[in-house]
Amino acid sequence: MPFMLPTILKNLFTGYATRLYPVQVREPFENARGHIRFNEDKCIMCGVCAMRCPSVSITVEKKKNELTFYPARCIVCEVCIHACPSDAIDLIFKWRTPFYEKPVEIYKSTRIAQLRETADAATDAATDAAKEEESAKEDK
Amino acid sequence: MERLWPVEISPRAKYLRTFWAELARTHSHLLWLGLLADAFGFESMFLQFWRIRERVLDLLEMTAGHRVIPSVNIIGGVRRDITPEQKKVIIDTLDIIRKESDELVKVVTRDYTVKKRTVGIGVVTKEQAIQLGCVGPVLRASGVPEDARLTKYDAYGDLNYEPVVETAGDCYARTLVRAREIFQSIDLQLEALSKLPEGEIAVKVKGNPPKNEAVMRVEAPRGELFYYAKGNGSRNLERMKIRTPTFANLPSLLVMLPGCELADVPVIVLSIDPCICCMER
Ligand code: SF4
Ligand code: SF4
Repeated sequence: MPFMLPTILKNLFTGYATRLYPVQVREPFENARGHIRFNEDKCIMCGVCAMRCPSVSITVEKKKNELTFYPARCIVCEVCIHACPSDAIDLIFKWRTPFYEKPVEIYKSTRIAQLRETADAATDAATDAAKEEESAKEDK
Repeated sequence: MERLWPVEISPRAKYLRTFWAELARTHSHLLWLGLLADAFGFESMFLQFWRIRERVLDLLEMTAGHRVIPSVNIIGGVRRDITPEQKKVIIDTLDIIRKESDELVKVVTRDYTVKKRTVGIGVVTKEQAIQLGCVGPVLRASGVPEDARLTKYDAYGDLNYEPVVETAGDCYARTLVRAREIFQSIDLQLEALSKLPEGEIAVKVKGNPPKNEAVMRVEAPRGELFYYAKGNGSRNLERMKIRTPTFANLPSLLVMLPGCELADVPVIVLSIDPCICCMER
């Protein structure tokens, strides 16, 4: 007890060691690993991140142009960030706020969508042209 | 893992790895001292230790990004670097941590209640410790100067390192070893930072793990950690074995526990710093 006395006395005359949390929030450090976010404009749905992720937080379905991310599983290890060939994953230093239900985030690649659209338009045009040709033939 | 290829990592990466390993040791020992106080009902000291630990966690967050598990090691080096500004903050904070721990460690080493609950309790003699294959602070508290850091991996070869040894082999000796290791670990961090060489932090390692085997021993806060990896040229390793320190230390409970008082069981079990989830593999 006598050896603890200086600490006890000091604690009596200093303020709280804790923060009044929801009111007072300490800003995270600049390169803290808060959470990750996918950039839909850059992603090419290659699936490398899903293959490398140690906690299976990402699934990529290229056919559907859908990248599903399960943030509750993610341990922010940065493996996917360094593995991504097109720099599509950003590290955000802010922590996620607590949640009641596990969130699921779905991302769609804009590049693939555009490509698909033009491809679809091309096939549509092709089928239209074919139809026209056929009708032209019938007309003859 | 680099030994599988094998590749040589840069000196800077080695020093940074050493720094983070020692920072994690400081945090782990502070956590343990707090838990020890909690095990015999010294709640206020428990929280005092954890308050100091909070500073270490802040340092970890600032440098590595995460608070407890740094996850900075990658195959070929490290992921984060330490800037000169961060270095200054680290040195200042370590100074504060040293002062604050000094105050509290004095309480642990001199206080009557702490001594009453730890001195002469859970004794493992030197011979028993060697026979049961203890590692880490448990082994060193029984008078065996054995530490994986003596194998001079990473930067330990260049640093001024001597294992901390006590001879009594009881809970008190294990407490003293860990308490003194906190200060030693702070010294090692400062030394590693002051000697930090310039250079790359990571080298690129290409390809899958080749057909090769590698063994590595490192000194984790709880004791010696053993890794074995075997590659077969494909994307997945053929075999990976990790022996954690708790697994090695658990048999020592066989000589510590028989005949002790029931109230001493938590203190004795805690004195080997068990991590059940690490052990269960
Ligand atoms: S985020 Fe990157 S790695 Fe993942 S699918 Fe998109 S482009 Fe590929
Ligand atoms: S940061 Fe790590 S855990 Fe999270 S999604 Fe990327 S690879 Fe998976």
